Amino acid sequence: MIRARYRCVSDRSGFVRAIILMWMTMLGSASAYAATPIVEIVIRDHLFFPDTVEVPANTKVKLLIDNQDPTPEEFESYELNREKVIGGNSKSVLFIGPLAPGEYPFFGEFYPKTAQGKVVAK
Amino acid sequence: MLLSSVILVLQETLEAAFLIGVLTALGHLQHRPARWLLVGIGAGLIFASVYAQNIQLVSEWFDYVGQELVNAGLQIMIALLLTLYLWRALDGSPAGEGVSGPSGARHGWLISTAAALTVLLAITREGSEVLIYLWGVIHQSDSYQAVLIGSSIGFGIGLSMGCLLFYALVSLPFPWAMRLAIILLALFTGNMLAQAVLLLIQADWIPSTQPLWDSSGWLPEHALMGRLLYALVGYEATPSAWEVAAYLVGFTGIMCVAWRRRASLRPTLIHVAN
Repeated sequence: MIRARYRCVSDRSGFVRAIILMWMTMLGSASAYAATPIVEIVIRDHLFFPDTVEVPANTKVKLLIDNQDPTPEEFESYELNREKVIGGNSKSVLFIGPLAPGEYPFFGEFYPKTAQGKVVAK
Repeated sequence: MLLSSVILVLQETLEAAFLIGVLTALGHLQHRPARWLLVGIGAGLIFASVYAQNIQLVSEWFDYVGQELVNAGLQIMIALLLTLYLWRALDGSPAGEGVSGPSGARHGWLISTAAALTVLLAITREGSEVLIYLWGVIHQSDSYQAVLIGSSIGFGIGLSMGCLLFYALVSLPFPWAMRLAIILLALFTGNMLAQAVLLLIQADWIPSTQPLWDSSGWLPEHALMGRLLYALVGYEATPSAWEVAAYLVGFTGIMCVAWRRRASLRPTLIHVAN
């Protein structure tokens, strides 16, 4: 009886330890690794340069967006679930992925007629 | 330019109008004063313009993810305030009694402050985006008229939908109006927490995972229905497990509060007579 109870406790602590380990691994893969690829996108005249951005599939990517217009823009993508205001003449950062292979359109919500682009995960 | 400004302003207005509509309806159903509403809206507009003016500074905090962290913070605060608001507004006694009774008098200011702060924070977040957009466009002298007209139309539609929701709620029989308002508030709270988590993923403060499901095939987010559902209940076609979990926490939190305080949902003689 006592042994059974003891085993139960030790199982539970093993389980908790496994959860903590899993969490740390996930955090580690999320922030500690410096290997996150960086992709730069420039906004000029309400256009994205480049308008097609290739990124590795199943990898987290850091997007560095440089808005060279004097007006603010909002980077938005339904497919990437991203939305961020970027002030005029300034830079900003956002993270995307890991993405399954495929195409993910994005646009500038303030000037959607011209500011259109897509991320291609390969 | 006209159409895109209608859509942009409508989207931002809708969420705040939805929240204000539900909170005003709850206040009306419980015979609470509506002064807090004006204070919250007024202060919200001031905060929104201060935030909009400093967006670039905020953006550079925490290695360029300050905007995400501040917005996520605002949303988490809205969720907490809504839970506190409901906990106090449904004080356990049958509706109507609490307002005039000692418990209602004691918590009246707390309920009003929680509601006002919720409205303030919601307007700060949504309003700042509209202001950033409008200030940017005024630089472009050729199209600003179209944008101002479009924005006014978008704002007008959003406002009307908020009013429509208010009148729809208060025209229902008391117990049903209360139940529906609480369910809408629970959906809103879930939405706030899910959006906060999404922003923390975007800032890389929470590890990103593959989407839990993909419903973009039958209800795409960019279609009219998808956009409407996004603004009202936070619909996402490809949510991650973290977002779904946060949504459920917000939703069940409010529903649990309502369940524990379910005595307040019973109509009193006054309501029955009406």
